[in-house]
Amino acid sequence: MELLNLLIILFIGGAAAWVGEHFSKGLSRWISLLFIAVAAVSLLEMLSNIPAPTFLKDPITKDPTTWLIHGRADWIPRFGISFELALDGLSLLLVVLTLFLGAVSVIASWDEIDKHQGFFQANIMWTLTGVIGVFIALDLILFFLFWEVMLVPMYLLIAIWGHEDKAKAAMKFFIFTQVSGLLMLLAMITLAIFVKDANGYWSFSYFDLLDNNLTSSLATFIMLGFFIGFTVKLPGFPFHTWLPDAHTQAPTAGSVILAGILLKTGAYGLIRFTVPLFPEASIAFAPIAILLGASGVVYGAILAFGQTDFKRLVAYSSVSHMGFVLLGVFAWNALAIQGAVMQLVAHGLSTAALFMIAGALQHRLHTRDLQKMGGLWQSMPRMGALAMFFIAASLGLPGMGNFIAEFLVLAGLFQVYPWLAVVSSAGLITGAIYSLKLIQESFQGAPDDTLTPPDFSALAMSAMIAMLIGLIVLGIFPQLVLDISQPVINALTSEITL
Amino acid sequence: MTGTDFLALSPIIALAVGASVLLLQIAFLRNLKLTTGITVVTFLACLFFLFYITKLNHQTTPLLLVDPLSTFFSIVFVLCACITTFISYEYLKNRPGRNDEFFLLVVLATMGSIVLTYATHLASFILGLELMGIALYGLIAYPHQDDMSLEAAIKYLVLSGASSAALLFGFALLYAITGSLFFPDLLSGLASPEVAVGPQSPFWARQLILLGSALILAGISFKLSLAPFHMWTPDVYEGSPAPITGFLATISKGAVFAATLRLYVIGEFHNFPTIVTGLTILSIISILVGNLLALRQENIKRLLAYSSIAHFGYLLIALIAAGTLTPNGISAIEPSAYYLAGYIFTTLIATGLIAAISSSNNEENANLSDIAGLFWKNPLLALCLSVSLLSLAGIPLTAGFIGKLYIFQMGVEAGAWLLLSILIIGSGIGIYYYLRLIFSMTTDPSSSRSTLAPALPVTVSLITLTILVLYLGIYPQPLMEYLLWNT
Amino acid sequence: MENLAAEQSILPVFVFFGAILLLVATMLGIASVLGERKQTKTTDLPYESGIIAVGSSQVRLSVDFFLIAIFFVIFDLETVFIFAWAIAFFELGWHGYLAVVVFILILTIALIYEWKSGALNWGVKSQTARKETS
Repeated sequence: MELLNLLIILFIGGAAAWVGEHFSKGLSRWISLLFIAVAAVSLLEMLSNIPAPTFLKDPITKDPTTWLIHGRADWIPRFGISFELALDGLSLLLVVLTLFLGAVSVIASWDEIDKHQGFFQANIMWTLTGVIGVFIALDLILFFLFWEVMLVPMYLLIAIWGHEDKAKAAMKFFIFTQVSGLLMLLAMITLAIFVKDANGYWSFSYFDLLDNNLTSSLATFIMLGFFIGFTVKLPGFPFHTWLPDAHTQAPTAGSVILAGILLKTGAYGLIRFTVPLFPEASIAFAPIAILLGASGVVYGAILAFGQTDFKRLVAYSSVSHMGFVLLGVFAWNALAIQGAVMQLVAHGLSTAALFMIAGALQHRLHTRDLQKMGGLWQSMPRMGALAMFFIAASLGLPGMGNFIAEFLVLAGLFQVYPWLAVVSSAGLITGAIYSLKLIQESFQGAPDDTLTPPDFSALAMSAMIAMLIGLIVLGIFPQLVLDISQPVINALTSEITL
Repeated sequence: MTGTDFLALSPIIALAVGASVLLLQIAFLRNLKLTTGITVVTFLACLFFLFYITKLNHQTTPLLLVDPLSTFFSIVFVLCACITTFISYEYLKNRPGRNDEFFLLVVLATMGSIVLTYATHLASFILGLELMGIALYGLIAYPHQDDMSLEAAIKYLVLSGASSAALLFGFALLYAITGSLFFPDLLSGLASPEVAVGPQSPFWARQLILLGSALILAGISFKLSLAPFHMWTPDVYEGSPAPITGFLATISKGAVFAATLRLYVIGEFHNFPTIVTGLTILSIISILVGNLLALRQENIKRLLAYSSIAHFGYLLIALIAAGTLTPNGISAIEPSAYYLAGYIFTTLIATGLIAAISSSNNEENANLSDIAGLFWKNPLLALCLSVSLLSLAGIPLTAGFIGKLYIFQMGVEAGAWLLLSILIIGSGIGIYYYLRLIFSMTTDPSSSRSTLAPALPVTVSLITLTILVLYLGIYPQPLMEYLLWNT
Repeated sequence: MENLAAEQSILPVFVFFGAILLLVATMLGIASVLGERKQTKTTDLPYESGIIAVGSSQVRLSVDFFLIAIFFVIFDLETVFIFAWAIAFFELGWHGYLAVVVFILILTIALIYEWKSGALNWGVKSQTARKETS
């Protein structure tokens, strides 16, 4: 149960940050960073106790003892609900990403947030707690708990510190996720009841529920419950409408967390739960899911091109990029899933960086409107160069993580649905178009002498450079990440063949 | 009457003695502090006896059956009544006029609620209902200089009287068919060969049962404010003094539900398709009407009124599903008892907070603007209200979530897919107005002119309730086991 | 067969009920059909031997009258319970006696309360109350 420490550290960190505000203004930011660092150290300490070969050995999905870390304690025996936390390569990657982007979001909000700083930091920390909980909870009800609980601080982040239309955006975000979450809860309970009727005892544990012999029609309905729950969060076409509003209205740190981590919980759920729990139903459904994914890729790109709002453009580009994840998951071969996982990490970094730039621009210029920008490179060369880099990464330039991810997904998809792979690769071209439009209209062009905002601070630069290095490493040595997730994906794809 | 009888009745006797002492004290020495003190002591004594008899299962006269389940309900009600007392003291202490009798009426209404919970006889059902009702008329009209509260009281009086009449007529018809008023005999009476409910039973029996059950359903739906019998709820909640809004929304409704639950389970009414169909329709309409009408409310009391309509719609799902799960419908008890307890604590936090704001300003403050900026003015109480609202919305870690989990589980096992989809739609709509309240707590405090300076007992009560709601949400196992073993 | 018996036993009640309805409807119906109608200026006045109304009919009654009426109802109802007990005095024995003692005790407490709070003071209460609030 040492994984519990991770959650406790982050949760207490949030409370401490809230209290810290009363002692000194600005103290809460340091407290947040400190507690994220402590959490990272405790994660490292946990990992150092695991013998190295375990990381490379393929686990058996149904056997928790073969996972990296596993712990279980009874929680509500009445319904067989347990406090079950486990870690494998896939969740490890995402937990690390979460901690890293958590620190980035704290830095992103460093100067931006004036009022109620302590409560702001507390909400960031609690969102991180929820997200990490989602990645390591292997009891379905516990998973659902974290899934819902992370919404509340996120809602507050948008509703309190958001921009002009915050109330509506925050509400939309919450209602979309909550209603789809309830569908998922219904599906979980239905699944657990059928397994109970077969086994004779209640259990919501992932490992018990994997062995379900559902009839195909019922499995389809339950699978759809899970699929909708996760696809809304991903967001997949046509459930993406909450995303542009939420991303645009959220404060910078909120956007970073939303785009960088929260969306990944949906993808994680698809890989971890939807397909392994209902393999047959997923096979039958895969063509539709892939069609939705391909539509998302193209549709998101087209909408992104039409935007004049910096953040909204990046938000729609997320819809497009997350379409690749849907493609990768439902193509269900090792290559495509690797691509999807890679996309999670690479997109997390590149979009977080872009939102941070967008936030910095908004903080300096008080607008997100691309038409009011232009020629900013002159006054902010460092920010301009970084923006150029991350936009290039986001459009999938070879040498950076996003390229590897999208290439793997398309290569994997080509083996299964060659035509859809061709259509989706159009997303790469449109991606280039809107990305270049973004950099042209904001940083390039004739310099405007009335706009002389200050450049990035040293602290912000350090965060940006860290993300930059990360993306390059992912692009040049993708094997580092692939090796961590490879055993899990091998296990999944060998046990379940679509 | 034996010793056990007296022991079983001890909570009711404690309240009756307390009420008499209060009468004498008010007659000779009017002192609000003293009155509050005696009331609290009365409730504590009652709680003591209730905890003492948690394991007792005893039929005391045909009227009352004391069993662990109803004792559990009574504990919840008396606890809430005790908290209502603290809140009421703050509310009344700066108001003009004679305020002492308020507490007397609170004690009497609580006594009515316990009688209702213990009722196993249609006579004690009516007795408890009316004892509670009559005390409540007085309580609602207590600030009698206020037009709103007079209007609310008269509305409640007339409509409640009409619904009691419908209920009585329904009971009379039930008596005409079965020849008994005692719950267990109702079952055997309905199952007797000359009635033998079913398609081949005599025509007159079927007609009388139809009419009787329709009247009883209507009467009880009025008391539980299920749509379409809900019209009075928002007006009465809005007009009542804030602590009494809490009493109406929690104890009064809870007691009626507890008694109905017992009538339903012992009488095995789930065997009557008419009643189950009726309940299904009531549940669907209540969920939709309650949630939709709550959307545009600016007054928090009205909002809570509509939300309570929706919540009792959710609760009915447990009753409807119970029949298909177990032959005797006993499976309805555990989920609905848990849900009800969670709902009561949760709602009392919200109404208690409104009462606290109203007491701090010495007027009725229940508008959205009155809680504006609460997060920055009083973070602790804002957190309490947030927990309460999230629990009403059914977010995990709160009692409301476990309640929803139960309802979902019942619905799925019974295959009530229509009701479940309505439940999901309703919850989706519900989130909107609960979040609206949370959002207005986070806005700029300068837009609100009301202050909040609660006294220590009120703060402690609200925090206790919040901890209870969180406890029921985080560690539900003990209560689940208690309810499971005792049904 | 038993069903039939039960049905027959309740049948006369329905017949009786129906007969009443029929009778009343006939009386009212015939009167309205055959009755003579005349609209003069005295039609709406009370019957000849009555007294012609003076002033508005909506006068304010003193609230004390209602109080007296309520007290009458309360104390009258109490005697009903005590009568019922008195009739079955020997069958109920000491249990019944104790129950009635408690009943009367509670009544006495209520009476003391009413007395002390000035409900029994005819016409004075409203003045004292006014004094207290002012």
